[in-house]
Amino acid sequence: MEPSGYSQGLDAVFAALADPTRRAILARLTKGEATVGELAEPFEMSQPAVSKHLKVLERAGLIAREARAQTRPARLEAARLQEAVAWLEGFRDHWGARLDRMDRLLQNLKQEDT
Amino acid sequence: MDAQTFSLTRRFDAAPALVWRVWTEPDLVGRWYGPGLETEVHRLDPEVGGLWLHEMKMGPQSMYQRMEYVEVDPPKRLVMLMSTTDADWNVIANPMMPDWPRVLLTTVTFEADGDGTLMTLEWVPHEASEAEEAAFAAAVAQMGQGWGKGFDIIAEIVAELSAPS
Repeated sequence: MEPSGYSQGLDAVFAALADPTRRAILARLTKGEATVGELAEPFEMSQPAVSKHLKVLERAGLIAREARAQTRPARLEAARLQEAVAWLEGFRDHWGARLDRMDRLLQNLKQEDT
Repeated sequence: MDAQTFSLTRRFDAAPALVWRVWTEPDLVGRWYGPGLETEVHRLDPEVGGLWLHEMKMGPQSMYQRMEYVEVDPPKRLVMLMSTTDADWNVIANPMMPDWPRVLLTTVTFEADGDGTLMTLEWVPHEASEAEEAAFAAAVAQMGQGWGKGFDIIAEIVAELSAPS
């Protein structure tokens, strides 16, 4: 695991993903960008409440807000989410590989004894 | 906030006494604990208060881990405080995730299962800040058996992102 290949602050990504509303917002954004109003509607949430969630997602690098329109539509930053997933899978595979090596060592030791 | 734990269980086709040995003998530990390349076990004293100082070499860089034994109950149970450190074995933040818990209480248990051993590894943040607990809890929910309940949506999003558009 090369440290330089991963940016700092993946923990902000995981903290952002810890909330079910934010996960649902990300799912909606896979279909295309959306404004705060468009995002608030299906959740029956106030726009300020949605804005709070968007701030967390933006700080984590998971979304970007377009500056061009008054409504500042949000769009998904796919690369950032994929980075987080890759880290998790790396951690999981890391232990998987480690325990595979442990298993092979145990089998070798057993053979040495017989 | 209730502390989250992350655990893994796996069965090995070897008796608990042998599994215990590969965890607690310096020349055996180095053969599996590292990332498969060069590792150096600087110290390994499996007794309460003892230290296991482990270096994993990845080309010009190394990662250092310090384990301090809290419980040593052969061949059934090992409990350690696990941290990433600098080259002088001082605890530091994980370079890849600054809010990853600096100290994880790690419990390893070995239970006889027929001719083999059922080994369980469990990690829980130790004396962690709220930020560390949150980072760990969020990551844990997505590890282990794959995507946890409620996090399936992440798998869906990732699948959709990977699909040819």
